[in-house]
This record gives sequence, C-alpha cells and structure tokens, in this order.
Amino acid sequence: MNPTRRYLFSRGAHGLGIAALGSLLQKDLAAEGTFPNFTPKAKRVIYLFQSGAPSQHDLFDWKPKLAKLQGQELPDSVRQGQRLTGMTATQASFPIAPTIYDFQQHGQSGAWMSNLLPHLAKRTDQLTFIKSMHTEAINHDPAITFFQTGFQLAGRPSIGSWLAYGLGSDNKDLPAFVVMVSQGTGNLADQPLYDRLWGSGFLPTRYQGVKFRSIGDPVLHIQDPAGLDRPGRRRFVDDLAKLNEMKLEEYGDPEIGTRIAQYEMAYRMQASVPDLLDLKKESAATLALYGPEVSKPGTFAYNCLLARRLAERGVRFIQLFHRGWDQHNTLPKQLPNQCRDVDQPSAGLLEDLQQRGLLDDTLVVWGGEFGRTVYCQGKLTADNYGRDHHPRCFTMWLAGGGTKPGITHGATDDFSYNITADPVHVHDLHATILHLLGVDHKQLTFKYQGRHFRLTDVHGEVVKAVLS
Amino acid sequence: MRIHFAALWLPALTLAADFNRDIRPILSDRCFSCHGPDEANRKANLRLDTEAGARPVLAKIVERVTSEKKGLRMPPVSTGAALTAGQVDSLKQWIADGAPWQKHWSFLPPAKPVGWSIDALVQARLQREGLSLSPPAPKATLLRRVSLDLTGLPPTPEEAEAFLRDDSPGAYERVVDRLLASRRYGERMAIRWLDAARYADTNGYQTDAERSMWRWRDWVIEAFNKNMPFNQFTIEQLAGDLLPNPTRDQIIATGFNRNHRANGEGGSIGEEFLVEYAIDRVEATSTVWLGLTLGCARCHDHKYDPFTQREFYSMFAFFNNLPEKGKVFKYGNSPPLIQAPTREQESRWAVLTAAAESAERKFQALRPEVTRSVAAWEKNAGPVSDWVPKRKLLWEQGQPQSFDGKRAQEFGDIAPLGYYDQFTLAAWVKPQSPDGAILTRTSDKEEEAGYGVYLKQGKVQVNFILRWLDDCLRVESAQTLPLGEWSHVAVTYDGSREAKGIRLYVDGQEAKLNVVVDDLNQDFATKDPLRLGAGSGLRFTGEISGARIYRDALTPDEAGVLGTPRKLSDILASTNRSPAEARKLEWAFLDSYAPTGLQTVWREYWRTRDEWREYSATLPTVMIMQERPEIREAHILRRGAYDQPGDRVSRALPQVLAPGAQTTNRLQLAQWLVGRQNPLTARVTVNRFWQMLFGTGIVKTVEDFGSQGEWPTHPELLDGLAVEFMDSGWNVKQMLKTMVMSRTYQQSSRVTPDLLARDPENRLYARGPRFRWPAEVVRDQALEVSGLLVEKLGGPSVKPYQPEGLWAELSGGVDYSRDKGENLYRRSLYTYWKRAVPPPGMMTFDAAGREACVVRENRTNTPLQALALMNDEAYLEAARKLAERMLGEGGSTEESRLQRGFALALLRAPAARESNVLLASLHHYRDRYETDPAAATKLLAHGDSPVGSKWKQPELAAWTMLASLLLNLDETVTKE
Repeated sequence: MNPTRRYLFSRGAHGLGIAALGSLLQKDLAAEGTFPNFTPKAKRVIYLFQSGAPSQHDLFDWKPKLAKLQGQELPDSVRQGQRLTGMTATQASFPIAPTIYDFQQHGQSGAWMSNLLPHLAKRTDQLTFIKSMHTEAINHDPAITFFQTGFQLAGRPSIGSWLAYGLGSDNKDLPAFVVMVSQGTGNLADQPLYDRLWGSGFLPTRYQGVKFRSIGDPVLHIQDPAGLDRPGRRRFVDDLAKLNEMKLEEYGDPEIGTRIAQYEMAYRMQASVPDLLDLKKESAATLALYGPEVSKPGTFAYNCLLARRLAERGVRFIQLFHRGWDQHNTLPKQLPNQCRDVDQPSAGLLEDLQQRGLLDDTLVVWGGEFGRTVYCQGKLTADNYGRDHHPRCFTMWLAGGGTKPGITHGATDDFSYNITADPVHVHDLHATILHLLGVDHKQLTFKYQGRHFRLTDVHGEVVKAVLS
Repeated sequence: MRIHFAALWLPALTLAADFNRDIRPILSDRCFSCHGPDEANRKANLRLDTEAGARPVLAKIVERVTSEKKGLRMPPVSTGAALTAGQVDSLKQWIADGAPWQKHWSFLPPAKPVGWSIDALVQARLQREGLSLSPPAPKATLLRRVSLDLTGLPPTPEEAEAFLRDDSPGAYERVVDRLLASRRYGERMAIRWLDAARYADTNGYQTDAERSMWRWRDWVIEAFNKNMPFNQFTIEQLAGDLLPNPTRDQIIATGFNRNHRANGEGGSIGEEFLVEYAIDRVEATSTVWLGLTLGCARCHDHKYDPFTQREFYSMFAFFNNLPEKGKVFKYGNSPPLIQAPTREQESRWAVLTAAAESAERKFQALRPEVTRSVAAWEKNAGPVSDWVPKRKLLWEQGQPQSFDGKRAQEFGDIAPLGYYDQFTLAAWVKPQSPDGAILTRTSDKEEEAGYGVYLKQGKVQVNFILRWLDDCLRVESAQTLPLGEWSHVAVTYDGSREAKGIRLYVDGQEAKLNVVVDDLNQDFATKDPLRLGAGSGLRFTGEISGARIYRDALTPDEAGVLGTPRKLSDILASTNRSPAEARKLEWAFLDSYAPTGLQTVWREYWRTRDEWREYSATLPTVMIMQERPEIREAHILRRGAYDQPGDRVSRALPQVLAPGAQTTNRLQLAQWLVGRQNPLTARVTVNRFWQMLFGTGIVKTVEDFGSQGEWPTHPELLDGLAVEFMDSGWNVKQMLKTMVMSRTYQQSSRVTPDLLARDPENRLYARGPRFRWPAEVVRDQALEVSGLLVEKLGGPSVKPYQPEGLWAELSGGVDYSRDKGENLYRRSLYTYWKRAVPPPGMMTFDAAGREACVVRENRTNTPLQALALMNDEAYLEAARKLAERMLGEGGSTEESRLQRGFALALLRAPAARESNVLLASLHHYRDRYETDPAAATKLLAHGDSPVGSKWKQPELAAWTMLASLLLNLDETVTKE
C-alpha cells in the first residue's frame, strides 16, 4: 500500500492536510510532470464566450465603403456561391445592410470600434484583435460545440476539461474548470446552451466544468440542508469517516480511502464556495469598475467579478457564456442593450486584473461562435435590419496572458464576407490558447476507442503573430 | 503509484512473446498510423499491418526504433511516441523466436476450450501467477451482490434471513433463478442497453425538444424479461421492419436506430444531418455488436484496423435509406413512425376497432334497405331544407357575404387549430380578383405566424406558418379558380405536420396540389382572431358563403357532399344526379328522415368510427426504421463531409469479417451479425455481461476489439463463454446464470496489500468484484430500503426531484417541472432524460450522457457525489423514511432499531464498534435537536412524503441523520 494511503489509514481523515488530500485526488498529467511542455505565459484563462454570435459589422470590423451600397444586391463575386443557412437560402434577394453605428479609432493602436462599446474602446491598446477568425459550422449548436471541443458533433472533451486534465488545478478546494452563464438583454429568446458544452467527453468526468449557478445553490448540493448546521455536518463527516475506516481496515480497498477523502474535500468545498461568493470585502471602487449590475447575481457583470475572484484563487479555466447575440432581425433594437450588458464589465475585468497584477498571466478571450452576414435577413429598411449566420469571417479579441497588445491580426474584404489576410481557424485559436498555457497542442492527447484524440484533431497552428 | 497492468504479462524474458498479445499492440499504437491500412496516408510505401509488408523489414524495424540519430528514429521524435525499453525487448524477443504472425485475434472464430469452465480457466491463470481464488463471500454479502447485479434492487431483510437459514444444496441457485424470473431483471438489464442505444426523451440539438421513444424502451424491458434470445433481440431491433409480416412489436423494436440525436434547428441543412444520422447508426451498430470503431474510417481508411473508407460507406448504405428528413420536426417524433400503444391501450384499441368494424358491417348489411327507403321517401318527400355534413362542425358562417377588397369579418378566438390537430377549412367563394384572403387566423402582415386559405393569382394557397421560410408549410393548387363564379373550396389536414397530410377539394373533387415549402417544425397557433376575407395583408374581393371549420379531416365523400352546388330540394327535384348528389340525398335522409332503426345504425357507424379515430390520435408513437422504395444512393464522402461525395458504393460487409458475403439489405446484415460465421458479436456481448458483473470486461476496451483495443486477460475464457452463448441459442439469462454461479463471482472481495500491489484492478480475479454501484442502482436502492420505491413497469418518463432552474438557466425557456406523487419514486431508468441538461443525480454518478452510443462503464469517486448523497432532497427524504422504518419496525431499543436499519440497508448486523460510533452519533443529534426543535422540523421537511407523526420530531430528526449515515456508507453504495 502506498504511503499516502497508509497515512490515511493511521490518521483518519480529520488529521489529513489539504495538500495530502490534493495529491491523493490529483491524477492529472501535470502531477505526472508531463505538462506544461515549456514555460507558460499564462497560468489561467478567462473565456468570455458571446453566445449567439456578435455582429462583427456593427462592433469591430468597419467597412465604410458599404454605406453607399445600402440595399444593393451582394455581388456574386463576393458570395462565390458559398452555402447559406436554411433560413435565408431561399430568400429572393441579398441586400447589403451597412452598419448604422458610428465607428472611431481609439488609443495608440488606432483600432476601430463602434460607439456601442465605449468602455472597451478605452482599452483597445490592451487588446489583440483577430479579424480573420473562421469556422466550418453554420448553425449554433454545431458551431458552439466546435468552439468548445474542436469537433462539430457532441461527444468530445471541452477545452476547459482538456486543460483541467493536462494542467490540473492550483486550488484543491475548487474545481479546475468553472462555468457561469448569463442571459443578455438583446435577444431574450436566444439560443440555448447545453451541459455537454463544458463536459469532459471521453475524459474522466472529474475534469468536466462545474457550472456555478445563479439560481439556488451555486454548486449543486453545496449547502447543508435546512435543519443541519455546520457543526452538525462536521460531526457527520467525522462519524462517516470512522465507519468507512473500519471498512477500509477490513476490506483493504483503496477506493474506500479515496471516498473518505472526497467527503472531506466536499466539506471543505462547502466552506470555500461561500467564501468565494462573499463580495463584502470588495471595495466600492472595484465594484464600480464592473458597472451597475455587478451586485446582481446572474448578470454578466457579476460573473465577471466572480471570474476575477476565481482567477485569484487559481482556477485554471473560467468560462462565461453570455447569451443573446443572435440578431436575425431587429438588430438595431437588440444590439445596443446586448452591448451594454458586456461593455463595462469586460473592460472592468481587464482593469481589475491589471490592477492586481493578474493580467500578465491571465489570458482573456472574447468572442462568439461565428460572425454575421453583410446582407440583410428579412426586410431591409433605413433603420432596421437583421443578419444571418456567417462562418467565413468574424472578429474576436484576446488580452493579457502573453498576447501582443494593441495589434490587429488578419483582415477581411470590403464586405467583411471573405478573409483577405492571415486566416485563423478555430483549431488555430485552440492551439494558440494551449501554447500560451505552455502546452503543445499536439502532445495533449487521450487514447479513446483506439485513437489518440486531441483538442485540435489533426489540425491547428499556433498563431505566432499574436504572441508577445 | 499504480502498477501498470501490462507489467503482469510483459516479463518478456520469461514468456515467449505472443504476436497478438504483445507485438501487434506495439506496432498498432506506434507504427500503423503511418504504416498501416490507411493507404492515402501511408508513408514510404511501407505497411507493417500485414505479414507481407513487415517480414522483409524486421531487422530494420528494430534498428530504426532504437536509432540514436534523430533523423532516423521511428516513430519520428516530433511525435513524442518513442517505444519503451520493454517494448523494444519484446520486439527483439519476438524476432528472435522467428517472428510468428497471426491474424488479429478477434477476427478469428472463437473456439471452445476443451473441458473449460470459468473457474478452471481463472484458476489456471492464477496458478501461473502463484495466486488462488479467495474464500467465498459471506452469504449475506453474496446475496446483496447478486440481487443488485441481476435486478438492480436489494433483497428484503426477510428474503435475506430465509437465505441465511437455508443450508440446503442449491439454495444459492434457487435465489439466482428467482432473481432472473423477477420482472425487476428486465428493468436492470435495460439500463445499460439504453446507454448503448443512446436513448433519451429529447432530440439533443439546439432547442432540445421532447420526442417520445419510451414505448421502445418498454419493448426492451419486456424482451429481457421474457428472455428473448439475443439473436432475435438483435434482428428485431436492427431490421424488425424487414421481417416477413412483421408484428407491431417487431417494428417498434427498430426504434433502436432512431434513438440518435436529431436536428430541427432553423437554418440547419438537411443533407448534412441525413449523413450524420446514418453515420451514427453505423457507429452504434458496430460498437454494440462488433466492438469495432468503424467510425474511424469515416474520413479516411482506418488507421489501425483493416477497414477501408469504402467499406465504411458500404455499411453506411444499409442505414441511409429511410424516408426521413435531415431537418426533423423540432417538437415531437419525426417520420417514419408508428403508433405504439401500451399493452393496456392495445386492448382498448382492439375493442374500439372491433366496435367500429362491426358498426360498419351492420350499416353495409342494411344498404339495400337504405336504397329502398330512400326511394320510398323521395316519392312522398315534402319540402326539405338543405343539408350539409355536421359531423365535428366547429364553426360556420352560412350567409353569403360581400367583400369589397377592404372590409373583413372578424370572429375572435375561434378555432385555435395547430400542428397536431386534424381539421377542415371550407367555403364557397365567388372571387372578383385573383388575389385575396379567404379564411385565416394570422396577422395583417405578410407571412406571419398562423394558418390561412388564400387565393393567389387565382390559385388556392394554404399556409401554416410559425416562421416564414424555415418553419412553415405552403401548398397551392395547380388549377386556378374562375373569377366571377362560385366555387367550393375545402382543405383538409390530418395532423401529420407534413404537406402530404393536406388535401384540397374544389367543388367536391380532389384537386392537385403543388408543395411550395414543406418545413413545418412547431405549432403555428396564434392569438390573432379568425377572419373571413382578410389575412397576411390580403383582402377578398367578391363573395364568400357557407364558410365552415370542422374539427376533423373530412373524408373524400364528405368533402364531395359538402362541395355539391345544388341544394337538397333541387337534387330531389331532379333525376339526373351525380354520385355526390346521390350521396347527399341519402345522407340527408339517414340523418333527418329515416326510420329510427336505420338512423341508429347510421349514427352508430359514425360514432364508433370517430371514437376509434379520436382514441388512435392519443396513442404514443415511436420512431422506427423503414426502407424507401427507391434506394437512396450512397457515396464515399471525402474527408467525411456531406457535400464532398466521391465514388458511389453499394451495401456490403467489411471484407475481413465477411469475405465474399452477399448482403444486400439490413435484415441480412442483422442475420449475419448473429450468425455463426461472425467472430465478434458473441464475444462482444458476453464481454459486456462480464463487465456488468465484474466491473471490467475480459477485454477492458469493451467498445474496441480491434488492434488498438486491449488484449483479453483470459482469451480462452472469453471464447468459451462466447461459444457457449451461441450454443445455448443466445440465451441471456442462462449466460448470466453461468457467470454468477461461478466460484470466481462468489468470492469474497476483501483484498490484501500484497494482492492489491500485484493486481490493483482485479483483472486476475483472485478476489470478488468490489466497486461503486452505477448511478441508477445507488438511487433505486435508497428508494427501496426507505420504502419509497413505486414499482410500475414502463410508461412515459417521469420527473423526480431536481434542483430548480437547471433547465431555465441554459435555455431561458421552460424550466423542469417536477412531478408529484408516485412519479417521484419510480426506478431511475424511467427518469426523463433531457440531453442538453441530463438528470444531475445520474450524471454525478457517471451515467452515460446519451449523446452517442456508450458501452464502457465509467466510475469516478468525487466530492460532488458526496455532496449529492448528503444534501440532495431525494436522499434526505429517503433517510427520513428509512428512519421511520427503523423506528417503526425495529422494536423499542436503540440497538434493535439500529439493527433494523443495518438489515434494511446492508443485510447484516452492525459490529459492536460500528454501533458505538452510530449510537454516540444518535445521542449527539438527539441532544442538538431537542435543544433546537425548530431545526428538527426543518430537517424533516425535505421531500413531499408526509412526515411520520408517531414520533417526536427531534427523535425522528436524530434517526434521520443516522439513516443518512447509513445511506452514505461506502459499503452501501458499493458492490461488495
């Protein structure tokens, strides 16, 4: 029997230090010394997923020449017969819908940004724009699944669970991969999300993302039931450990030891999660960074603040999903609200991380699952339009964590329809994120059904140009 | 920390290297991906997966894998896949032995070892390792093990006592027989089959709306319970529809390959998903029956096993020929489907069918009398008012109305018809303009949600719309209506959600319809009022009369009668009558003027027919397999992409498995799978049974028997079981009995440190199985020992406790609305499975996600499991009810009550030191709750079941904590 377990035998769970518990539970590759492959620039990721697909036309990728083409048919030379979704494929015409929002250049980098994102506009010199993102999927479910797992069909591990598996956690009281979800005020009947988006696929389930909830217990069953207080639960866990130790002595099955340790860990999680959520010690100045909604659980602002607190506590992969970006119609009515949800909190998060010296080793990623079309879906009028899905180009930005700030990578044509320079595929983005965390994306593999799978399948190139 | 198990059989210096066991795995894992079956990606024109390719270069292989030079080293240094020293030694040893080559083991037919038995083969192996079987498990332990294994539920303390008292020979065997005969057995066996079949209650994509496949699930339970031979079980599920004169049950069985996820997302491209569905069927079928990962050959030739991409698409061709759409209905089952009554419904349905048939026979028998009576009546008929069919008439506006292209008539919230409803919209129209709205429920904007009948450029157009273009249905008549003349228009819809469910009658004659869009996805009901002469921005110019809505699709005869231009009096007065006019006269007579006897028979005929139809519409359906009359072409898809078709392929089995076989349909495929000549199905199946009982398969990779799969720990045992399984006529119960009757199964599961070090995963079976029970068993056991379990076989899925908000958080839509009453306490296999948000109580304990076929059992040990068992409402309620049983059934002392709890949960008495801990705990909680009775009340409030009132609340609360301890014990959640 190994020394840790023998120790557990003789001392019982209460005498067990948290570090020992950690080593008992941790069987990830980091513990085996496999990863990181090289010195990482980033220790953790905060991924602000904008679910539904934000319009690059109205936020980042300004195409001034389109103003004159309002209502004209999208030239076939641009469309090149590319496939369209079933929602607009049978549409009789494809009139160009230029953005109605004002764009300005900001900061030393001179990055263009629309007036819908005034707070982020002030931070453009911290951002690394990628205007040449592209994906293969054309509908939400496959596209978001692709971004999360590197494959359009459900069943593979999510990026966060790959990293939890490869790099383990720096905090043994909290999961390595935490997910939070918020509903935007743009499109209220927006695309749904699915638990499998942060699932572990064929990796062991302990690597799956744990969703922190805004309704009820933040982690399922983390609260003691009504009628039982903390000392009562302590006594319970201690007595259970005594009984299980008797069984362990009798049967010698090390799984019993693990179970004792897991109950102890559960007890500790019950304490650390409320501490995480206790915002009383946050200063008014910090709270102000995130804007007025920061105190309202379930909002994007609140989740951004929690993201910082999780980052401070060493959680490896923190992923926020903000729904409401699917502007098929009435875009001018929806988009300003949707942008207001995320603008100040995203900017505030960057500022807060920077003030605490966390931005250097925290990679922040911001973007959706595809872009939106230059042509109008439905009826185009002077002040109303909608945009369908567009996988052929869209904009994302990165910040911190070893990225090169204040640059724009990649470019699109005058219609933001096709990429004209430096395309970045979803697999490339994944390879780059892993690289910043010190992981060679070709090395992080798992054998399943006879094959060595990896997040980037058989593709992916690190985008060197965005690295600092 | 752990000794890798391979160490147990790779002491290459003492044992001669066996090619299939020791060498092929090395070559496969390290070499085949560039030098294997995949021709397109083969490097240096070298293949090492065939003897012909490898033999000439044996020396070279060793040279290259050990080369010091980076450029020469294989596998290339950049892959980081270098061979270990042990692997190199094995290779050398094998070459030194003359490099004997074998076909991959699982592709050779299984051979029954002479005089074999499970115990003999396990013991022989143990002996080689200097080990032996452990002593038998204590009787109570064994009883709990076998009961939960075979039925998923524990025995009662009384059953345990009887077994403990029974020292006669055959006592254990009688228990096994009793368990196998229990109907709980079928439920237990169904659980893992549902994982393999990726069974769920929702579609799995995007909105993840409900579907209904539970009648297929109940078919599975029933098949296991009646011990349907596994070959028949296979054939019916894969190809029941192709059997001669298949029964309804045999067709329901084919739901197996319709359980896959299906996409109804607006904008999805149908062709793309048709391909995914067929691929999913190939993957599930090959994983479950062949234990092969054929899916790897979707994009290119298989990298490790001898399957080409062409062969993959030849298998695909068996499964792509359904009359189905790639974009399925967002809500509900999509065709092809079948009505699937439960057994109870079946008998009611049969009664109604018989009644309808008998009523029709009676009416037909009276036809001559009807004809005579009509003729007699005609001669003396006085003045008659006109007559139209009134059956199921929902609304009518009989008077002629003039419309000037501006005004319309509004009727409010009348006829809120939708998606699944059967109905008829009818009216007389005399248009003066070729465009206009006739009868609608929709807004005044173009192409908004709702239904309507219009004139468009003179053609009759029917719209059912939720969202224009991708969630709507439009058909229009081929002919145009004449302007300035009266025409009768009747549109019937049969609730099938498809364009082919719509019929148009003009002047009582069926008229040809052209389908413009056939993409209805969800209900199209609106709040807009019913209107005559307006809708979708159109107005009617001309006259409308006799507008009617029926709550049924009228029959062609009814539509004919309704569309007859002449009034009844005119028909009476004339001798020249069309068939429809003659029918109108006859029906009017039967309805209003016939003698009571005839009238009764006539009304009874319609009443029984309607009753049968209405009942039929309430029956559950199941999605099924069906063949299109014309075979849909199948092509190799380059890189697996739906829009990159390559060569056309026809249906065929992989050559390496079925050389020369002529297999042209799914039925033959299914028959081949369970034929003697297939080396895999029996092995793969008994291996899954073994996994269920022993925790790990004899081949650990239960889903992969290919060259990347793990070598069987006991190859002869696997073969012995496989051949016996086939010899027995694929008798599942008998196979399980053989396994649980073995000494190997019945051993004690205690382990010594030495044995643990030598065989941590218990792959040699020097001890009995010990591991945590699956998710379903953990919960069902808690329900049973607390007395909450409600046993009821089958039926629609149920919604037990689940924390609030889980669905709403992700979809922003409808939240989970949990059931009340007995549905809270049904066995877990009946729990509603929403793919986007699977039941957390199951997922926490490693249940398969039901996205795709899963056959490997997965077991983790996490803090989230501890939190669930301690704090989940379901387990708190079970603890309270168990406490009530301990207090109520356990006599009057603390000790005897504690003993009752142990007997219920663990079938044993507590040891003295366990009692000490538990009673001290009891006193502790009693003190706490007596000091704070309000806390006791709160603790007891979890769960819907009433709180026992016989005991003081602090006392019951203290015992509830004690019961919760029992339910949280490692022993309770563990197979021991």
